[in-house]
Amino acid sequence: MTVQMDSSMRSESAWSLALRRLWRDPVGRISLGVVTFYLVLVGMVLAGWLGTRWNDPVAVNYAPPTWFVSAANRVTLPAGEAWDRTLVVPLYGWTDPLEPLWSEARAAAQRIQPEPVSYRLTLPFGADKWGRDVGQKVLKGTQTSVWVGLVAAFVATLIGTVLGALAGYYGRVVDDLLNGFYGVLTSIPYLLLVFAVAAVLQQKGVGTLILILGLTGWTGVFRLVRAEYMKHRTREYVLAAGALGASHGRRVWVHILPNVGHVVLVQFSQNLVGFIKSEVILSFLGFGVPVSSVSWGSMLNEAQNELILGKWWQLVVTTVAMAVFVTASSLLTDALRDALDPRLNS
Amino acid sequence: MKGGRVWVLWLALLWMSSLQAQEKVLHVAFSASETGFDPVQTSDLNTAAIEQQLFESLLTYDYLARPAKLVPRLAATMPSVSGQGRVWTFTLKKGVYFSPDPVFRGKKREVTATDVVYTLMRFMDPKNRSPYKFLLDGKIEGLDERAAQARATGHFDYDTPVAGLTVLDPWHVRVHLKTTDYNFGHAMAQPVMGIVAREVIEAYAGDTASHPVGTGPYRLGQWLRSARIELIRNPNYRPEVWHFSPGNDPENRRLVAQMEGKMLPRIDRIDIQIIEEAQSAWLSFGKGELDILGIPAQFSPLALSGDQLRPEWVRRGVHLDRIVEPAIAYYFINQQDPVLGGMTPAKIALRRAIFLAMNDGEMMRVIDKGQAIRTTYPIPPGVAGADAQYQSLLNYDPELANQLLDAYGYRRDRTGYRLQPDGKPLEVQYTTGLSSQDRELDEVMKKSLDRIGLRFSSNKLKFPDIIRAERQCQVQFRLSAWIADYPDGDNFMQLWYGPHTHENNASCYQDPEWDRLYEQTLTLPDSPRRDALYHRLARRLELYGVTKVSTSALRNVLSQPWVLGYRAHPILPSVWNYLDVEERHGATP
Repeated sequence: MTVQMDSSMRSESAWSLALRRLWRDPVGRISLGVVTFYLVLVGMVLAGWLGTRWNDPVAVNYAPPTWFVSAANRVTLPAGEAWDRTLVVPLYGWTDPLEPLWSEARAAAQRIQPEPVSYRLTLPFGADKWGRDVGQKVLKGTQTSVWVGLVAAFVATLIGTVLGALAGYYGRVVDDLLNGFYGVLTSIPYLLLVFAVAAVLQQKGVGTLILILGLTGWTGVFRLVRAEYMKHRTREYVLAAGALGASHGRRVWVHILPNVGHVVLVQFSQNLVGFIKSEVILSFLGFGVPVSSVSWGSMLNEAQNELILGKWWQLVVTTVAMAVFVTASSLLTDALRDALDPRLNS
Repeated sequence: MKGGRVWVLWLALLWMSSLQAQEKVLHVAFSASETGFDPVQTSDLNTAAIEQQLFESLLTYDYLARPAKLVPRLAATMPSVSGQGRVWTFTLKKGVYFSPDPVFRGKKREVTATDVVYTLMRFMDPKNRSPYKFLLDGKIEGLDERAAQARATGHFDYDTPVAGLTVLDPWHVRVHLKTTDYNFGHAMAQPVMGIVAREVIEAYAGDTASHPVGTGPYRLGQWLRSARIELIRNPNYRPEVWHFSPGNDPENRRLVAQMEGKMLPRIDRIDIQIIEEAQSAWLSFGKGELDILGIPAQFSPLALSGDQLRPEWVRRGVHLDRIVEPAIAYYFINQQDPVLGGMTPAKIALRRAIFLAMNDGEMMRVIDKGQAIRTTYPIPPGVAGADAQYQSLLNYDPELANQLLDAYGYRRDRTGYRLQPDGKPLEVQYTTGLSSQDRELDEVMKKSLDRIGLRFSSNKLKFPDIIRAERQCQVQFRLSAWIADYPDGDNFMQLWYGPHTHENNASCYQDPEWDRLYEQTLTLPDSPRRDALYHRLARRLELYGVTKVSTSALRNVLSQPWVLGYRAHPILPSVWNYLDVEERHGATP
């Protein structure tokens, strides 16, 4: 009896309790598994173990998808266009400013016989218009999109939390100023704001995309964290910390922050889903990733023209990859909120 | 009382809807925005297509004759030419009025020879910075001196007559050219040479681009910039009759049967939408919301099998018209660019290597979907001076490009990309638009440059911004296209003439030797002597890595069964004034 009492009375931390609650929820368990699987994939692509050959033309244009590979699944094509390298064109009386190096380069190039390349006729996930493997592309695209979402969500959550904490804790002028800034930013329609930031940054790239999304998406976090801090700053434990001589900074970051951490975490995962969708929209509209990279959005953009020609595979593969991740992330967010909110669990 | 008002309102609405039913409307789409409707400032085809309907030039091209043939438009007859092609006398039609505008204070304003002189002078006014100045530049007696004077004083004197432009009487104007010019008639047939009224231009000074007032069959109606342009019938338009000779073409005979003798224009309203995405335009045509559509290249597999219209479209009664565009797609590199420009051998080698890496075959197969032919000469087929046998120096050859870059010291760094000979980083910036086809172009370009180890970056701009950047010599490298304004080789060769920098010479190429030869060609009619000079000019462009001519597109135009009288014209930017539409007979699916 005493032993039993002892074990049940050992106090567990709020976080491990929450984790246990998450694990008890089957939806939470499955979605956590799926999201983890994607994160592992992203890690492997980032490390260069997967999806490295996404830009190589390995098959014929628009090779259809099939899982039944026959022996005759290859075709050999001559490399390059056939043109007669030995042909000497008349210069019509000019002298070539690059002689003699031009003739030497031509002679050297003539000695290189381009190897004929063999291409596959089908692929498990099909090929795009350049003959690139859609399977490889979707791996690389997943990495880009999820990475953009993760980093942008981190940036946005960081900005939102810091500003929200300052506004909520200090109040008065700080709060007025930050609230005014928040008001201006949220009064602009979201996509317009995104385009405006894109126009100001002037550069294309994954880094720019992260900045755009991070700099425009922190407002929701700000609002919630500010409210939490306003609530907490007059609580007894904070007042007690102040009486014991803890500085304002210590009260804000060491005492209150852990107690509003669950709000931040839920906001982070919600932003993640939102930003992945925004990235897709931006890339679809041509503001997204540059051609040196590929993302879900740029793949869907390509797929819109392919679909009308009856080449459905890139669209299907991308949509499935994206839908599974976005759904799993959304469900995980819900499950996290349930698990982290002690009131729902009484 | 109140009920009475509502009743009147209903009646008015009924009356208006019955009008709507009778109104004939033509729906068309453009893939890029218009730039504003002052002819003197126009350089793009879409704007020219609209100006063709708003304004009228002295001459134009016969609708059906092929190859394109000059015929009078505002002129009553073809001009009389004397003095070995140096004195051109034009006779104007009488009773031609400008479309109504508040500037005219309710009076009908007739076109006279003075308007012709004013219109021509405007092109030389430095304030207008006309992209089509080349049509008159250095050609008319006294006009260049007037322009020089305007540059010095900051004011162009329109009031004092110029020696080369004589008003004989209100309906006769005589042009004295400095040198022999056999293309002056073509210049006078340009849509940008549409006659304008001085009082209108001066009344709207600074905003002439949004107040077009011309004599054309249509006037500007509602205009939502970069979205929708509406042209409505000009009430002051003179009686004109559809009358063209069909020649031996059976398709033309069908047109003549449909249209001969009808009063023009037939259509009350032309509704032009700007649809940048080819897919949207394609689907709109399929639903019958657009009446005429040039098939976007990426959709040609859906409309065509080989060079024939697919049976499902034939069954719907849709017509296909297929011609080789009198146009070239050509790569150019800005010769004044700090990275790629310059005349040192190393820079020339770099530019030639870039051109050697461009894979024209893949471009035609994948991007044009086979709806293009490879052209190597700056003058495309169907244009005077063309040469189908010309051999390019710069055929696709990445191995040669790599050898050349190695020889000139463009070493590769650890990432496999090349550096400049002095060790500085090297990046080629390619300019395209924002559509999905532009992204495909970016992809081809990146692949091509990767093959020779050059780092690629893309600069994405809207079309009017690209044109603006080109004029300021700020586009480093681009695949551009030029379609013939008039079917003569000179219209293409002028693209590299030094004094045309900041106008149409987007490569900003300034080479005294090239310019000297080009000026010689201007004194020659279409002849073997001129062709020999053109060959030298074309080769020099390749030798110095200025340009590489890539392809000529095939134009496939579909028209709905209810559109009457349609034939694609190689030169005229729009032919809406020659068309008619019938009541639709349930052809839409």
